[in-house]
Amino acid sequence: MRRVFAIALNTFKETIRDRILGVIVLFALAMIAGSLWLASISLDEAGRMMKDFGLVAVTLFGLVVAVFVGASLVHKEVEKRTVFVIFSKPVGRAEFLWGKFLGLCATLFVVVAAMGAFLFATTWYVAHAPSASILLAILLIYLQLVVVVAVTMLFATFTSPILASVLGVCVFVAGQLSHNVFSLTKLGHGPLVKVASWVVFYAVPDLSAVDVKASVVGEDVARWSSVAFWSAYLAAYVVLALLVASWAFRRKEF
Amino acid sequence: MARRVLVALVAAACLAAIVGFQSTRVVKAASSPRVFVPSPRFYLDFSPSFRTSIADAYWLYTVQYYGEHLNTDQRFDSLGPMLDLVTSLSPHFRRAYYFGAFALIDARRPDVSYELLKRGYTANPGDWHFPYYLGFFAYTFGPQGAGARAAAAWYSKAAETPGRPDFVPRLAAVLFAKGGEKSKAIAMWASVYTDGDKYSRARAVKEIGKLLPAEKQARMKAVAKLRDLMPPVQFDQLVADLFPGYY
Amino acid sequence: MSTTIERLPESVRRKSSAPIIEIRDLCKTVSVGFWARKVEILRGITFSVNEGDVFGLLGPNGAGKTTTLKVLLGLMKATSGDVRLGVSGLADLGYLPENPYFYDYLSGAEFLRLAAQLCGVEGVESEARVEALLNDVGLSDAADIHLGKYSKGMLQRIGIAQALVNDPQLVLLDEPMTGLDPVGRVEVKAIIQHLRERGKTVLFNSHILADVAELCTRIAIMKAGVVIWEGHVEEALAGASDLEQFFMQRVTA
Repeated sequence: MRRVFAIALNTFKETIRDRILGVIVLFALAMIAGSLWLASISLDEAGRMMKDFGLVAVTLFGLVVAVFVGASLVHKEVEKRTVFVIFSKPVGRAEFLWGKFLGLCATLFVVVAAMGAFLFATTWYVAHAPSASILLAILLIYLQLVVVVAVTMLFATFTSPILASVLGVCVFVAGQLSHNVFSLTKLGHGPLVKVASWVVFYAVPDLSAVDVKASVVGEDVARWSSVAFWSAYLAAYVVLALLVASWAFRRKEF
Repeated sequence: MARRVLVALVAAACLAAIVGFQSTRVVKAASSPRVFVPSPRFYLDFSPSFRTSIADAYWLYTVQYYGEHLNTDQRFDSLGPMLDLVTSLSPHFRRAYYFGAFALIDARRPDVSYELLKRGYTANPGDWHFPYYLGFFAYTFGPQGAGARAAAAWYSKAAETPGRPDFVPRLAAVLFAKGGEKSKAIAMWASVYTDGDKYSRARAVKEIGKLLPAEKQARMKAVAKLRDLMPPVQFDQLVADLFPGYY
Repeated sequence: MSTTIERLPESVRRKSSAPIIEIRDLCKTVSVGFWARKVEILRGITFSVNEGDVFGLLGPNGAGKTTTLKVLLGLMKATSGDVRLGVSGLADLGYLPENPYFYDYLSGAEFLRLAAQLCGVEGVESEARVEALLNDVGLSDAADIHLGKYSKGMLQRIGIAQALVNDPQLVLLDEPMTGLDPVGRVEVKAIIQHLRERGKTVLFNSHILADVAELCTRIAIMKAGVVIWEGHVEEALAGASDLEQFFMQRVTA
């Protein structure tokens, strides 16, 4: 466990210093500030616009961090051969992978929290009232991004970083459209489409199940028991993805 | 040196071109009143996570579209579909309905306003604004007489909705009377009397007095019907106000 | 043919006179390129390293020296053959990779602390060891400078330090003298001597044959994936004016 945390801390230090992250956070802040302007042309719906566009900004920029850093995390170590130093020590492959994952999750948390805090403050200013639901929505966005990190790292164990990034984004999009895939299992033409739909339905994480954006803007009422249930599902999904990644990584040669 | 000058000239030419091309958009005529608006069906199949964001984006587009055409050609051909899209994606986006209904008057389509508000009311039955605005539209744009009746029915619904302002039941009562539905008007004034302040009670007494039959026995009979509609204390008080010296 | 890497328990190791590294008929084939063309890197390596040896693994580029080390460490799996290590595991082993590259953003001391942590050395003991090692490799003054700013020689030295952070019984060094100035080379040679005096076993690759002749007790010469000669340094020097000549004789034969 200690080794996992040592690697996690090292990964956190490595990724948090990455200048790309700072740029991404700046962009996100600019987008949120831009939403302020947009909100001024929305006929008194500034609060709603801010919350909605702000949460989308946090999601998209968080996704960029999750996917691009997650995909290159392991690859960088292999390319720079720091991995030789790590594995010459009594560190298991799984420990290494989990350490990398936890370190990136810590960095992602800082990034998402920074953007989230700024959004919370600007929304408070615009709507003249704090919105606790925004903080919860951001926490759930973070959970979705953790799933994307796990999946991207899984792909990165056996493909190139670029392909892993693309696949990570695809899984995120597919995860938002899970209910469409479910419809395909019922409405698809032919057995092949149906079987493929079922496979995709189970293989892809249902991210939209923990999305509460609609309730933040008053469009829906969040069913918290359902959100808790699906959060547990996503946690199980993350663990499984990393177990598979560990298995694939154990077979890798350097 | 000559190379640097050349590079600077090329850069300046490109910059001038960029500014030039963009500035032509400023002097161009306003965009067409008819724009492409996808069917809500297209986006409803999308992820539920981003529906409200898409609705918001289209809302901003709708507001800009309206403002632009209000200041230019006064044509709002695509306003209806835009509002349709926004409210389909975000059925609880009440401002879209409110604003949209009144904006569609500028588009000379109060019928579309009416349908929009009805949809809004179905999605938001707890919001008094909808029946209230529906009453306004029914009265203003409906046929004579029948419009007043329809409006009265809507205002009556609004009166039953929590959070409505005090004047709404009074408005309903006035329109019931205008539409010739005296008994409904009286019943509505009775509810105004029950819930209202001193001013409302005085007004209710006055209006009920005007609506009641002239003959005393008939008056008393009509008032007696209100016993089931009012709490006993308020009923007795109303009787006392209508028939001074009765008790 | 077994493909196991056996790590003998300490009790057995102490009792027996078995070598600390024993490699028999080690083969390694990799798939290269899009069509997964098979390339044999190791074609039946056999040699052994005794406890207390300073063993030099020599050979031209592409002979398979680094691959052999990687198989020993478990970074690569043997295709076939037998590898036995007389240490209880990676906790008792230290490794310096070729052309080392470490974490730019960590300082020298931070990096050694991380290495110690990964070996299970923590707290006061870790601090003491880090300080001692930095002293040994002459980097005490650069302890708080980021590794990204280290020269190649400094990186080499911090690399040796991290290989020794767990006080290993067996030390594997891949080209330890590369990139070092004469002062650095003297220091590294002194470190290797010191390790030998303390009874540690050192295996290293090197192209600098003068250093090999000076430091090593035994050597093996590899060429194209096989060991073409193995024995004591004295034996090699008996048949040639210097080790370089002996090496050229064998490799060009």
